[in-house]
Amino acid sequence: MKVQVKNLRKEFGRTVAVDDISFSFDSGHVFGFVGPNGAGKTTTMRIISTIEEPTSGDVLVDGVSVCEEPELARRLVGYVPDTLPAHGDVTVHEYLDFYGRAYGLRGQKRTRAVEAIEEFTNVAGIREKHLRALSKGMKQRVSLGRALVYDPHILVLDEPAAGLDPRARVELRELLALLAEQKKAILISSHILTELTEICNGVVIIERGKILETGTIDDVLKKSVPRRTIAVRLADVSAGPHLLKEILQMPHVENARTVAGETHFEFGGNDDAAAEILNLLIARKFKVVEFRQTRANLEDIFMTVTKGGVQ
Amino acid sequence: MTAVLAKLRSNLANWRDWEINPIVIKELRQAVRNRAVAGMLMLMLVVLFIFSLGFLISNSFDIDSDNQIGGPMFQTFVTILAGMSIFFIPLYMGVRIAAERQENNPDLMYVTTLSPARIIRGKFFCGAYMALLFFSACMPFMAFTNLLRGVDLPTVFFILFFLYLIVCAANLLAIFFACLPLSRPFKILLALYGFFQSIWIIVPAVFASTHMMRAGIGSMMGERYFWIETVTSITIAGALGGLFYVLSVALISPPSANRALPVRRYITLIWLLGGLLALAWVWKAADPEAILVWHHIMFILLTLSLVVVVSNGDRLSFRVRRDIPAAGWKRTVAFLFFNGAAGGLAWVTVLYAITYLMSAFVMTIASPRAATTFSIEDRSHFMIVFPAVLAYLFAYALTALFIHRQFLPNRPAKVAGLLAILLAGLAAVGPGIVLFFLNQLSWNSLEGMQLGNVFNVFYLHNDGRAFYHLCFAGAWLLVAAILNARWFWRQANDFKPLAIRAVPPETAPAGQ
Repeated sequence: MKVQVKNLRKEFGRTVAVDDISFSFDSGHVFGFVGPNGAGKTTTMRIISTIEEPTSGDVLVDGVSVCEEPELARRLVGYVPDTLPAHGDVTVHEYLDFYGRAYGLRGQKRTRAVEAIEEFTNVAGIREKHLRALSKGMKQRVSLGRALVYDPHILVLDEPAAGLDPRARVELRELLALLAEQKKAILISSHILTELTEICNGVVIIERGKILETGTIDDVLKKSVPRRTIAVRLADVSAGPHLLKEILQMPHVENARTVAGETHFEFGGNDDAAAEILNLLIARKFKVVEFRQTRANLEDIFMTVTKGGVQ
Repeated sequence: MTAVLAKLRSNLANWRDWEINPIVIKELRQAVRNRAVAGMLMLMLVVLFIFSLGFLISNSFDIDSDNQIGGPMFQTFVTILAGMSIFFIPLYMGVRIAAERQENNPDLMYVTTLSPARIIRGKFFCGAYMALLFFSACMPFMAFTNLLRGVDLPTVFFILFFLYLIVCAANLLAIFFACLPLSRPFKILLALYGFFQSIWIIVPAVFASTHMMRAGIGSMMGERYFWIETVTSITIAGALGGLFYVLSVALISPPSANRALPVRRYITLIWLLGGLLALAWVWKAADPEAILVWHHIMFILLTLSLVVVVSNGDRLSFRVRRDIPAAGWKRTVAFLFFNGAAGGLAWVTVLYAITYLMSAFVMTIASPRAATTFSIEDRSHFMIVFPAVLAYLFAYALTALFIHRQFLPNRPAKVAGLLAILLAGLAAVGPGIVLFFLNQLSWNSLEGMQLGNVFNVFYLHNDGRAFYHLCFAGAWLLVAAILNARWFWRQANDFKPLAIRAVPPETAPAGQ
């Protein structure tokens, strides 16, 4: 199962929301869709989910065009929008049951599917509650349940973690990991980039409707943040300014700064050169307690490649 | 046809798997929990109860052995029921659908695998069930009036049935308006307009039911003509309801679907059946005026269709092109019925032409009573006025298409339809304003001839002046047709089936 976004363009009047973007992702992969507000993420996701029509270009979901055959594509895509379910006057079970029916599940098959999804998304205990009585986190679970009830191969999640408390976020992350294990292709947008780093295999970074970077996290990391950041913690914090001066004169070092009592510097050399730096520090009598490489994450990539422009 | 029959056979064979339309289940669940629905139902029952009590108390002092208060009571109940159900149910359904179909943000149920037809049917049946709920709540009060004399039970049931059909028709109308792709402010304005305009459905419905009650429907039920009239009325109402249903389905179908096909097929069907019915009426009842009824109704319907077909885009989606028959007459027929402005124009032209020629034929030669029914002036008027109006309508449409193609090619196709309306409006209002100022602020000149103004044709009683209109409109149409000829020819030539499906080039998978 493969999703191919091809030369997608969407205009709203004179505003170009999505400007000729192309990328693809596969089953079993979680793809992060990252960009500042107004970058065109939601529009792209809505086009993949057949809610919007592109101005030009197309999206092929397992070879099915969302423009030409939206009815067929809908069977394959489960969409969790950034808005919560609006049907406040129906119960959780009725809501999921309706979408089961709407996607053609019949009789016992539907009953089993709805019950399984209620268990999976952990809403079985609140199945008789009206949607309006649910918390945001619970509504988000119901929304995910709705998208999963007909077992689509592709999941498109627009800001699913927005407004969730830390526990709900962890649970959502676990659910997504489980879904990826089930060989679903997942495209997820979020502003909580540290979390995306933990669950995504790949990433698309978009700004002002254009793709800035795309690929696996490691590839993008190498490309966008070529220098690694190394943190040094000394036993004597007061030696920090002295260390800062010394370290800036060492080879391959750039942009040294003090962060929370530690000295962080960007390093362009290889592992041997890093080891040589540590030796030099010890030779110059610095009491090094910790010398570690801080892993660059999506947030670093995001801050490096985007300019914060909106349309 | 064979596929449809096979599907029907398969559905019948698997009757155990039949399930109620999910939309009906969801909508009814929400309706019974909706405070507005429950409140309106309770309000209706309270009003009915108060009126019953009022009638009984006021008449209990009237000592008359022949007191028949059932009739007036029934009339009052019918008015209350009609008011409540025609005001409320279509408004409730319309507002719900309009809210679900907000521009660019439709409810997610519209992107499920439910077909547009099933969604519209679900909405309609929910409205019909709600109406049934209101009617059944009212039924005991209605039946009670029979005990008080003045109205018989067959009349009660017939009038309720009649009212029920009107509520269902109003419901379909509301669904259609709610499906129109308008922005929220326009939808609110439309809802308000519809709410106030529904008085024009309620008042005739109440008057008709009063007339039926006074005429004594129960005693007329044994007559043949009663049933002919009833069945004819139900058929016409059903045909109109069907049209709104087909239009609503087309409105919520994906743009890549062949949305024009069911609509044009349906209009052609009612055009054909209406024509046959009118002809049968002309021969059987020797009443040639029946053909004019058909002509005028179809004239209005086809004029509206003309605006819609002009708003069609030129580009056919792959799925539409895949369905185009390979060659021969089937392809020609498909050109008329499938998506596309050029085919739509040809379709409207064919139907207009046949309608006009058939009517003219009946009016002049075919009907034995034509000479006595229509004067020479009537015929001459018909022969000049309608061709002039048709020429104007097509001239506006073709000019709008040309302007859109040449000057606004990047604007959506619906702009062409708007331009056509705008041209007609400008031609109607523009000269009037100019003449008003040239004529020292007097409106007298408006009664004169205004070439280019289609509405002016209807106001002229002098056929000589109408003939000038015919010549002017004909010349305009000719120029517009020449300007559009190449485009039309290209569209007709490009209307070919998709030979091989274009496979887009592979994009390098990112990050894999």
